[in-house]
Amino acid sequence: MSLLESIRVALEGIRANKLRSFLTTLGIIIGIAAVIAVVAIGQGGRAILMAEMEKLGTNIFTIYVDWRSGAQPTGKMLELSDVQVLKDKVPGITHISANTSTMEDVRGSKNKKYSRVSGVSSDYEYIRKMTIKTGHFFSREDDSLGRRVAVLDEALADEIFGRSKPVGNIIRIGSTPFIVVGVVAKGDSILGLSEEPRVFIPSRSWQNMFGTYVNSLEGSALSREKVQETMEQAVKVLERRHRSSAQYVSYSMEQEMQSANQVTGIMTLIIGAIAGISLLVGGIGVMNIMLVSVTERTREIGIRIALGASRKDILTQFLIESVVLCLIGGIIGMLLGVGGAFLIAKLANWPPLVSWWTMLIAFTFSATIGIIFGMLPANKAAKMNPIEALRRDT
Amino acid sequence: MIQVFDLTKIYSTGAQPVIALKDVNFEVKAGEFVAVMGPSGSGKSTMMNLLGCLDTPTSGSYKLDGIDISTLDETGMARVRNQKIGFVFQNFNLLPRMTALRNVELPMLYAGIDVRERMRRATSALERVGLADRINHRPNQISGGQVQRVAIARALVNEPAVILADEPTGNLDTRSGEEIMAIFQELNRGGSTIVLVTHERDIALHASRIIHFRDGRLVDDEKVETSLDAVEQKKIMGESNPRQGGK
Repeated sequence: MSLLESIRVALEGIRANKLRSFLTTLGIIIGIAAVIAVVAIGQGGRAILMAEMEKLGTNIFTIYVDWRSGAQPTGKMLELSDVQVLKDKVPGITHISANTSTMEDVRGSKNKKYSRVSGVSSDYEYIRKMTIKTGHFFSREDDSLGRRVAVLDEALADEIFGRSKPVGNIIRIGSTPFIVVGVVAKGDSILGLSEEPRVFIPSRSWQNMFGTYVNSLEGSALSREKVQETMEQAVKVLERRHRSSAQYVSYSMEQEMQSANQVTGIMTLIIGAIAGISLLVGGIGVMNIMLVSVTERTREIGIRIALGASRKDILTQFLIESVVLCLIGGIIGMLLGVGGAFLIAKLANWPPLVSWWTMLIAFTFSATIGIIFGMLPANKAAKMNPIEALRRDT
Repeated sequence: MIQVFDLTKIYSTGAQPVIALKDVNFEVKAGEFVAVMGPSGSGKSTMMNLLGCLDTPTSGSYKLDGIDISTLDETGMARVRNQKIGFVFQNFNLLPRMTALRNVELPMLYAGIDVRERMRRATSALERVGLADRINHRPNQISGGQVQRVAIARALVNEPAVILADEPTGNLDTRSGEEIMAIFQELNRGGSTIVLVTHERDIALHASRIIHFRDGRLVDDEKVETSLDAVEQKKIMGESNPRQGGK
């Protein structure tokens, strides 16, 4: 019997038991839909995360002192002077800034707000790719002289000044007055600066107020490819300068992206595996019903054998029926999965990534399940004794 | 057409082996219409299964249309069933979900005949049994006699060497039974070789020869001098004469 005929016979069998066929494939439908949706959403999520991180800059890095390393850090591990030294000694560094912060009340003309006060260098503007909304970021001179100038973020400016213009006005950080020289626009990155209100002041001014320490150094390298090398050179310079080793921790956005990529990859894999298990369960359901079907159709099998069907013909017929059943489930599942992925993506506001290979895998997978779980029932059918089969009442 | 030598079948599935057939010898020539008779347990069903290549003998040989069946493998037997044998069963054995036409096409499906030729031959076979107007009916939409006629059309369609009919009238009333026998006689007149199993002498007498089985042995080979003519019988019966076992 030709393949086309076998498929036709299989479809007749499926059509004869519509409800049961549908319920049988439900496991496959749900399994495939789950796999496709999960992978699509996972891929979409990963893509958006990567895009956001790229927006922040792939060439930026941070160095801080590892206080958990066990060994007591000796001396001052990071100083403000490091900023200039690194800039001179490491040619790969394009911008570098100290970064130290604390929480303090910030009072404007209208309100006060408990905010994060960060002491940074003038380069910070470029490292974090800030967009200045009004005014300007403070200058290197402001930093080296420790001038009391401040840059507010947009949200904080609105909060403490209301409608009046912040630039040129005075704010009080604790009790110390600062002149507002600029307002930075809110970043459009969801991973960007945290939601908490922030004010940036020159790092020297910060040290004058809160104490002479530096939490971390942030910098940017010439390019994404150079960031690792540049960062390592910077750490070496610091180690030599402060006569200590292995107590600086450094990480780059590049590393961050790699680990985020890895994490989302593992997440997708785990959820995908769980969905895959549901597919397996679906396959067992198909096998179960196929076994019932073979028993029910004992007489049909006997008739077909008497009319000249070989064991191979019978085997093929049931195998194809199982594969067709699974493929129908697979296709419905695929449509549901893609639909679901788009729906969830729309609700979560990120792009779903349904790649053609996911479809291909789903298709192959459901066919494979059909073959694997169809084998046992088909074999049972093919081994049937035609004399006994013809004698059956059913 | 059929040559059977020392055919023996022993079932050894139970505790005690059962001898179903013992050293059976006979021959059926091309164009013969042979009835096989015997009480239940006589071995006539076993004989039918062996002739139909649904079972293999324990010993002895069986030649059908010159082919030594005992040399064949599974696939070879399937091909013989498909090409050389046309089955007609007591309980019709049509596939209930399929139309008459599709049922008759079934043997050609396994013969690998293309769609158009299948359609043509199935239609003509159904015409031969007088069901040209019932080709798109399903078995549950037509009478028992008509169902059996579809089964005969199915048995004919691959132009087999022999038609094996196992109690073909057993589930029919006498009138329908006579109709079926009329078709068999008609086919036989056209040259078909027919082997018919029955336990009713009235039916067996439609054949030209009756072989009798008892306790697994062929006990008598009887020549029917003047066969009953089914068409005549039907006329005698008149309009209706329902019989027990009618559907």
